[in-house]
Amino acid sequence: MIRRLGQMVVVLFGATVILFCCLFVLPGDPVGSLGGDKARDPAVVEALRERYGLNDPLPVQYGNFVKNLAQGDLGEDYTQRRPVTEVLQPKLVNTAELALAAIVLDIAIGLLAGLIAALFRYSFWDVLITLLTTMAVGFPSFVIGMVLQKVFVVQVKWFPLISDGTMKSLILPAFTLAILDAALVARLMRGTMLEVLRADYVKTAVAKGLPRRTVLVKHVMRNSIIPVVTYLGISFGSLLGGALITEAIFNWDGIGLALVQAVQQQNNPIIIGVVTFGVAVFVLLNLIVDLLYAVLDPRIRLA
Amino acid sequence: MRGATSAKWVVGAVIVAMAATACSSGDKDSGAGAKGGSFRLGITEPTAIDPFNSQESEGALVTHNLFTGLYSATVDGKLKPELAESVQTSDDGKTWTFKIKQGTKFTNGEPVDAEAFVRGWTRVVAKDSASDVAYPFAGIAGYKELNSGGATTFAGVTAPDASTLKVELSEADFEFDKKTVHQAFSPVPKVAGAASNKAYNDAPIGNGPFKMEGSWQHNKSITLVRNDDYGLQKAKLAKVEISILNSANGSTLEYQGFQSGQFDWARMPTPQLPVAKAKFSPKKQWIEADTSGVNYLVAFNQVAPLNNPDARKAISYAIDREAIAKGVFQGMQKPATSVLPPSFADTYVDGVCSSCVKQDKEKAKQFAEKGGLKPGTVLDFGYNTGAGHEEWVQAIAQQLKEVLGLDVKLNGKPFKEALAQQQDKGTGGLWRSAWGADYPTPDNFLYPLLDSGSINEDPATGKAAGDNRGRYNNPKFDELITKARGTKDPAARAAVYKEAEKLAIDDEQGLIPLWKRTQFRLAATDKFDNIQLDFFEDPNLAEISAK
Repeated sequence: MIRRLGQMVVVLFGATVILFCCLFVLPGDPVGSLGGDKARDPAVVEALRERYGLNDPLPVQYGNFVKNLAQGDLGEDYTQRRPVTEVLQPKLVNTAELALAAIVLDIAIGLLAGLIAALFRYSFWDVLITLLTTMAVGFPSFVIGMVLQKVFVVQVKWFPLISDGTMKSLILPAFTLAILDAALVARLMRGTMLEVLRADYVKTAVAKGLPRRTVLVKHVMRNSIIPVVTYLGISFGSLLGGALITEAIFNWDGIGLALVQAVQQQNNPIIIGVVTFGVAVFVLLNLIVDLLYAVLDPRIRLA
Repeated sequence: MRGATSAKWVVGAVIVAMAATACSSGDKDSGAGAKGGSFRLGITEPTAIDPFNSQESEGALVTHNLFTGLYSATVDGKLKPELAESVQTSDDGKTWTFKIKQGTKFTNGEPVDAEAFVRGWTRVVAKDSASDVAYPFAGIAGYKELNSGGATTFAGVTAPDASTLKVELSEADFEFDKKTVHQAFSPVPKVAGAASNKAYNDAPIGNGPFKMEGSWQHNKSITLVRNDDYGLQKAKLAKVEISILNSANGSTLEYQGFQSGQFDWARMPTPQLPVAKAKFSPKKQWIEADTSGVNYLVAFNQVAPLNNPDARKAISYAIDREAIAKGVFQGMQKPATSVLPPSFADTYVDGVCSSCVKQDKEKAKQFAEKGGLKPGTVLDFGYNTGAGHEEWVQAIAQQLKEVLGLDVKLNGKPFKEALAQQQDKGTGGLWRSAWGADYPTPDNFLYPLLDSGSINEDPATGKAAGDNRGRYNNPKFDELITKARGTKDPAARAAVYKEAEKLAIDDEQGLIPLWKRTQFRLAATDKFDNIQLDFFEDPNLAEISAK
């Protein structure tokens, strides 16, 4: 465990160093313009450079960043001059909410579809599910999102355009975000389940005369789910970061959207904040997935 | 039992997750249809709504409704007195004395007196504020000292008594009153404190027709309600609900929101304009207005190949503005033949840029030859990517190739990178640009875009930090601007500004005008009366009434 936590720190450190170097290489002055056609007063630019320590050499800037980060301070953004943590905190909650809803849909749709397809192999349902998952994988999610929005928001008006904090406004973006992963989970689940169904221990269990439900739940499901959990762990991480397009389509105020805007404005504190957080989440999720293995399969032990 | 536990764990996790997401469920009442009506619209996140740093149209929309200053501007660029009861200007144009309407209050009960203006103006210019909108104050005595931190008071702005605001300028400027239309000139109450007062930044207490309901929900919403104690003409709407949309596809969201009935006012993505017009114009929900701005090409005046007026005129004559307006913009843009917009009726001269009136291939070739723009000359043509400029920029590049045989290199860059290049002394060629008015005076175009004072070159690096990106420089032009500012008679002053525009645009083609700034909006005219675009391209919220 301690070694794993140590790894986490190293990964975080490495990621922020790389990021800092990249941002330093970028041409253009981060406080040099409003992002519009009008120039910023040189006195303002200088005052802001001073305020944000942009005149310091890169190592000094990085040192300050690490020092502040250790105190949970990510600095101030360059446009509205608010603390980055204050700017990002509600966005993190929003993205997490969206990702969580998506992952629930992922699991519900994906596992169920995979299960049905595997249990009723070559049946009408299996063919239908294979067909639908193939289509879902082939469609870019922004197309799905835009079509859903056009139909259900603009045409039939079942859902609000702008999130009003209700469950209703969560459904379309969560579905858009989940659809691709759900399809992949379904295929993964179907594949591994078919494999497990053929395994000797399942045959033994059946031969022993165990009830069908016990065999399915205790032996088949439990063993089929391990690769799926691995996949979900990774996909949850990418959901957090990759919700970007979905967030833009549905005006979901999350970190994906914040990152796009920050890159356009060269608002470095926000970029660094989002990426640092993203790396931390990824590393943490990997840890959780590894821990989950041990729960699902007692033979797997953590080193 | 292990199997059972883990299965339970998974099911449990699913239930917890579902419950977590369901927590936020439950339909809330939208609150629409309140007495006096609720007007709903979308904007993108403003930089600030506190007058100290309110700058783009979105910020101006909110600030102008929360605060009332000395003057406002009508949509056709006329000055309209608000809290200024009378004004006296000294003969040398340096001393301005405003009498302020008495008896009005901020929404916290504090009186709006001359001191409130002194406080507000000082707060914008103070060094620590690092405000982007301090520039219109630059002509006031004591600006430099206050802005550089050498002083904490604004020497040129004083309040001899509660109803008198006295402003001393360092240079004559007979149009100073027009500058005060900018929201940065708002009065603020004592509670505003310094510009870094975060609580006030997010929930400014003002003296305008509307006041904040709660504070600014960043990236989510801003809600305004009518100020029933407003000292001037009260607003009719009870409420204005502003949703904050992401900038990546804000206009798409606004358009869709209007179609689905969630917004009463909307912008539209440019490619959708013709369809939207066809659909909403018959319903009288389509608003179209030539506003105060211009789209133009910066010609880098000091570096070859555009370092002489003939070369620049050749470029201008070679462009077929009409064809691009019809083709690329599908009739949604109109060619500009001047830098000053038609909304400035006193100074607008249609066709002052004679090379802009009509494409003339022969003249283009003649001027090109005189100006040394031989076929095959390499011309760098810069534009900022991702802002919808690609198509028309390509069209112009094509015309320049066809007519003059130039080797046009299109150079698309993200905005901040592009800015660095524009500021560099060695940059040549063309750059696409646009300018909108901050306040209704020709000076607001001619000075920043063409005066040598606006090049703002750093002597050490040669970097130009001002808005005169093309580095157009003619002492005679600068003199005319100074002369215009110092001319008391409005008609005589307008004549000097016209002379200055003719010199810079027609004689020397310091920049190349392209299209007028035309704006399009959708408005729920079925539910509201008297909806219009105001001078700042925002809806005139204070005058709208529910049907």
